[in-house]
Amino acid sequence: MLKYFKSNESILFFLLIILCIFLSFYNPQFYSIQNINSILRSSSTVMIVAFGMTILLTSGEVDLSVGALMSFVTVIVMDVINISGSLFLGFLAVFIFCLMIGLINGLVRTMLNVNSLIATLAMMLILQGSVYIYSMAAIYNTHLLPFFTFIGQGFVFKIPMPVIIMLFILPFFIFLLNYTKYGRYFTAIGSNPSSSSLSGINNNKFKILGFVITSLLVGVAGIILASLMDTGQQGSAKGFELIVIAAVLLGGTSFKGGSGTVIGTILGILILKVIDNGIILMRIPQEFQLVVPGVILILAVYFDTLRKEKNV
Amino acid sequence: MKIFSWLMTVIVASTLSFSSFANPKKIGYIVNYGTHEWYQNVIFGLQSRADELGIDFEVMDANLDINKQTAMAEDFMTKAVDVLIMTPVNEEGVVPILRKAKADGTPVVLEGNPAKGMTTLFAICDYDAGYKAGDAVGRILVSRGETEARVMDVGLPLLSATVLRSLGFMEAIAKHVDAVKVHELDGSGMIDSSVEVASAALAADSNINVIYGINDGSALGGLQAWRAAGLPENDLIVAGTGAEGLAFLNEMTKENTPYLVEAAMFPEGVGYTGMNLAVDLFNGVDVPEHKVTPTLALTVHNYANYYSFDKAGQTRQINFENVANIPTETKCTKYASDL
Repeated sequence: MLKYFKSNESILFFLLIILCIFLSFYNPQFYSIQNINSILRSSSTVMIVAFGMTILLTSGEVDLSVGALMSFVTVIVMDVINISGSLFLGFLAVFIFCLMIGLINGLVRTMLNVNSLIATLAMMLILQGSVYIYSMAAIYNTHLLPFFTFIGQGFVFKIPMPVIIMLFILPFFIFLLNYTKYGRYFTAIGSNPSSSSLSGINNNKFKILGFVITSLLVGVAGIILASLMDTGQQGSAKGFELIVIAAVLLGGTSFKGGSGTVIGTILGILILKVIDNGIILMRIPQEFQLVVPGVILILAVYFDTLRKEKNV
Repeated sequence: MKIFSWLMTVIVASTLSFSSFANPKKIGYIVNYGTHEWYQNVIFGLQSRADELGIDFEVMDANLDINKQTAMAEDFMTKAVDVLIMTPVNEEGVVPILRKAKADGTPVVLEGNPAKGMTTLFAICDYDAGYKAGDAVGRILVSRGETEARVMDVGLPLLSATVLRSLGFMEAIAKHVDAVKVHELDGSGMIDSSVEVASAALAADSNINVIYGINDGSALGGLQAWRAAGLPENDLIVAGTGAEGLAFLNEMTKENTPYLVEAAMFPEGVGYTGMNLAVDLFNGVDVPEHKVTPTLALTVHNYANYYSFDKAGQTRQINFENVANIPTETKCTKYASDL
């Protein structure tokens, strides 16, 4: 029982509750349905990408290109739907593009043996530059398809659509990481790559898979963002990768690989987003929205190192 | 009679040759952030006027890097441009460039922001642009029988230029109705950030009837947050600033949109004016320290006077002549130093 209360998720959960109680006292609007929906809606795109990032970090890799890819996705999806008038073709173009980027990231990491920090940093720069080669101007919604707008702005039973999409994806990742041998493979690869390789796991295959899954999830999040903005906007999702990584690390996933849970990631994101929301409700200068993830990133890595040393 | 005609011809020709100025042959422009829609349109205006005057015009992009801007300025001076136009990456950083250009004998024209040691600058008046939008919104509120403006300002508090826009907007509205700034937000000038902060602000208090954005992305971000919250648009008025690209035209021309006002800054017109200023400086004409470029509150009723907009093709064409005829201030009502 004591062990349960000492678990990372429990600590994060209590921290989240304390934050919520504090903000509710400060401003009763905090627990209004509208505010909760606002927090959940802005959390959902981060969560969707973070599910993939949890897998990647668990396997000892990281992807810094998710923000730049997401920005590119908003441009592609809007452009293709504008031209074709077809949601299917727009989504197909996005997922093919994301699949390709994920594959390239994975192959550069595994075949060329480039550290994933460097490989995906390079990919981030390539994407940030090439989106302007694709189109210098923002792409506006001229197709006016109602379902596209519904994806980011609609509600089902008063629940925002992005939250519904996130909830639809969530069980798959909980199941994958906790109840399948493949999930355990990711942990094994991050924990001890040599022994996982010796036990017959194809490390490279799973690492490539991790990059591809993450990129495909960025595709989903990018479509939601494009719908929410009603625009394909170069330069959007700036700093998104840092928020995702900070949240995943705060959720207890180790930066050195070998451990991580989806529930921890969700709690980490909710804590960050509640803090963001609190900054606005309390009218604290919004620059702190950048400061907070930065500080949390350092603390999370520090605590992770402490935890590892303790385990050793 | 023949001698008289010949004399007249000589007199007219020599008068013309002394009074008319030669155009510069080559002008260079270092933009601070060339991928932004605003600057793409400024470049379009500069290029259009350069083409009309037969000037060889070259653009380099510093991409928000002052070191790059310094190196590019040196490149242009080595290439012996007749005039150098620059949008400073930062006001302090360009001072050494201005000093070097002076020593080199290269005339420099700045765009957007003033800097110590500059000769001349072409830029809009931020306060006045915001004021014009606020005035237009105030009039709409009065016509609707409203007595109060409850404003969500999707701003950029770190930049004095954008603070001036917000200030002008609020002060103009207050001339018509009671004006309360319910939310003062930092949307970073980006649509996605603006959606996020505006969503949280609206969740805290959605009792507002005016959204003001310090640029198009901020205004649209505020509007998208409003829509995502499922709030009714009937009594809402959205006002943006910049007319940076097609965003405001797309939204403003939709049926029943609350996006009613745009503080247009006509970036193409800014560029056009800038090229004229560069030519004047080259010819030794007495140029003002700040050449104010036109701003105007655009609505769905008057935008066609200044822009022809092809919604399907997603292009817009500016009417330079009509923009040039907009009555323009000789100096701004308020500057950053007044904050």
